[in-house]
Amino acid sequence: MATILILGAGISGHVAASHLRRKLSKEHQVVVVSPNSNYQWIPSNIWVGIGRMKSKEILFPLAPLYKKKGIDFKQAKAISFFPEGDKNETKPYVLAEYVAGENKGQQEKVIYDYLINATGPKLNFEATAGLIPGQNKTYSVCTYTHANHAWEGLNALIQEMKNGKKAKILIGTGHAKATCQGAAFEYILNVEQELRRHKVRDRAEITWISNEYQLGDFGMDGMLLSYGSNIMKSSEMVEMVFEDRDIKWILGAGVNKIEDGKTHYETLEGEQKTETYDFAMLIPSFSGHGFKAFDKNNNEITDKLFKGFMLVDADYTPKPYEEWTAQDWPETYQNPSYKNIFAPGIAFAPPHSISKPRKSKSGTEIFPSPPRTGMPSGITAKLVADTIIDTIKKGKNLQEHKGSMANMGAACIASAGYGTFSGSGISITTFPIVPDYKKYPDTHGRKLGKTFGEIGLAGHWLKLTLHYVFMYKAKMKPFWWLLPE
Amino acid sequence: MTQRISKNKRFWMMNPVWQFFKYLWLSLKGMLIVAGGHGSTRSKDYQKSH
Ligand SMILES: Cc1cc2nc3c(=O)[nH]c(=O)nc-3n(C[C@H](O)[C@H](O)[C@H](O)COP(=O)(O)OP(=O)(O)OC[C@H]3O[C@@H](n4cnc5c(N)ncnc54)[C@H](O)[C@@H]3O)c2cc1C
Repeated sequence: MATILILGAGISGHVAASHLRRKLSKEHQVVVVSPNSNYQWIPSNIWVGIGRMKSKEILFPLAPLYKKKGIDFKQAKAISFFPEGDKNETKPYVLAEYVAGENKGQQEKVIYDYLINATGPKLNFEATAGLIPGQNKTYSVCTYTHANHAWEGLNALIQEMKNGKKAKILIGTGHAKATCQGAAFEYILNVEQELRRHKVRDRAEITWISNEYQLGDFGMDGMLLSYGSNIMKSSEMVEMVFEDRDIKWILGAGVNKIEDGKTHYETLEGEQKTETYDFAMLIPSFSGHGFKAFDKNNNEITDKLFKGFMLVDADYTPKPYEEWTAQDWPETYQNPSYKNIFAPGIAFAPPHSISKPRKSKSGTEIFPSPPRTGMPSGITAKLVADTIIDTIKKGKNLQEHKGSMANMGAACIASAGYGTFSGSGISITTFPIVPDYKKYPDTHGRKLGKTFGEIGLAGHWLKLTLHYVFMYKAKMKPFWWLLPE
Repeated sequence: MTQRISKNKRFWMMNPVWQFFKYLWLSLKGMLIVAGGHGSTRSKDYQKSH
């Protein structure tokens, strides 16, 4: 009998738990430890943040589903890792603390044979002074609670604008090394469309602020894509959309401080600048959770497991941008020191960024960190689950399941406005996610036919379809496993 | 504001009938790219194939 412990019940943790439970017999235990009682489909938070979806439509409670399916759920947060056990406990375990219920505050050693760390990112608001969701007129849409606050703030502003107020809206990244530009991009386009729907667009100045060097970088070093019969750079496509919708932009901006209605940022030229606003949605930097790890003699071994995020089979040797290769990216998501530990989704430490690193004249690094979107998070979680299933069933670590983000495609549907017939979406598919400049030297590291963009109503329908399909799948309704990640 | 998307282009972008076919095409193409699989980049065969 094996116990598989999964930390986190986001996209990757939940995908791993559901596949493990389906494919392993009941003699094996699947345990999920996660502090949030709900599963949330994070991509639809964009629509919660503009008041077009209620947060209850994008979430459901995990405990009843897990009980029904035979998954053991502990509403707790992992604190520290003991991959060799300790003096009293021979088996490896994770020390977790309950965050709700009658056990709240109590700690427990949760023992495992296999561990999947799917704790995603820590939303590191503290890294930017004054960036606090719901304060200083800044908001976030990274969780459903944040998105609810964002809509309250935006709605209040829209009402003031209906009474004649002119407003400045700032949306983008709230830290010099933030990632997830795609989410901010969706939000700015959705906000712009909502202002038009409320007939106050002419009273708003909307500005994109980002640590990207060029528009459309998205933390992926930009893209060269097919657009109809043209070949276009993602920077050109985003510029076209922004100009068409009268959205201004500030690039290469490392936001470092927020005051009430005022953001301070450093430019790549090393200048310190400010921008005022009446409403801002700024994505914070993402960091690891600061977990610590100990060996059986209680000596700290955090650096065997973590480098901010969790160490996996990537090549972490520091090297200049020009020497980065596709092969640096991990394939099994297995920790090199402890083969029974895995980290899919955002929880693994990337070998380096995907975008070209840049420093300001005063030495501040200003460029996007690498994004790991929902699709690769789901795919890597499934392949890790399959490795564990095969290892349990066939008795050895086969490592047959491999999936590098440099040999994996992704479809990103960026919502550009909500509405059955007035909505819009920018559908971008990329192959591979991490560019392979050696394999595709003439097309900016990607395969052109598989890297394409489309703008229009169909994108909105597709994004809405994905919402319903993935909620169905996450609820493990009949034949859920037939739906791809 | 600079008009960067022509009226004609915008018409097709928002035409529900045309977009319905786009929707089917995009769903299929997206599925093929994703279902097209994923794998290692470290094998000799993969690295030789460029
Ligand atoms: C607003 C927004 C819109 C997005 N839109 C898209 C999109 O359109 N398409 C797309 O592909 N991607 C999108 N993404 C990205 C996508 O949401 C992420 O890639 C995905 O959620 C990552 O999955 P994950 O499981 O690795 O992390 P998460 O989903 O963040 O899950 C982490 C889990 O770990 C839990 N956890 C945290 N700390 C602990 C702890 N100490 N112990 C145990 N558990 C812990 C959390 O509660 C959570 O359940 C969007 C992201 C945002 C913020």
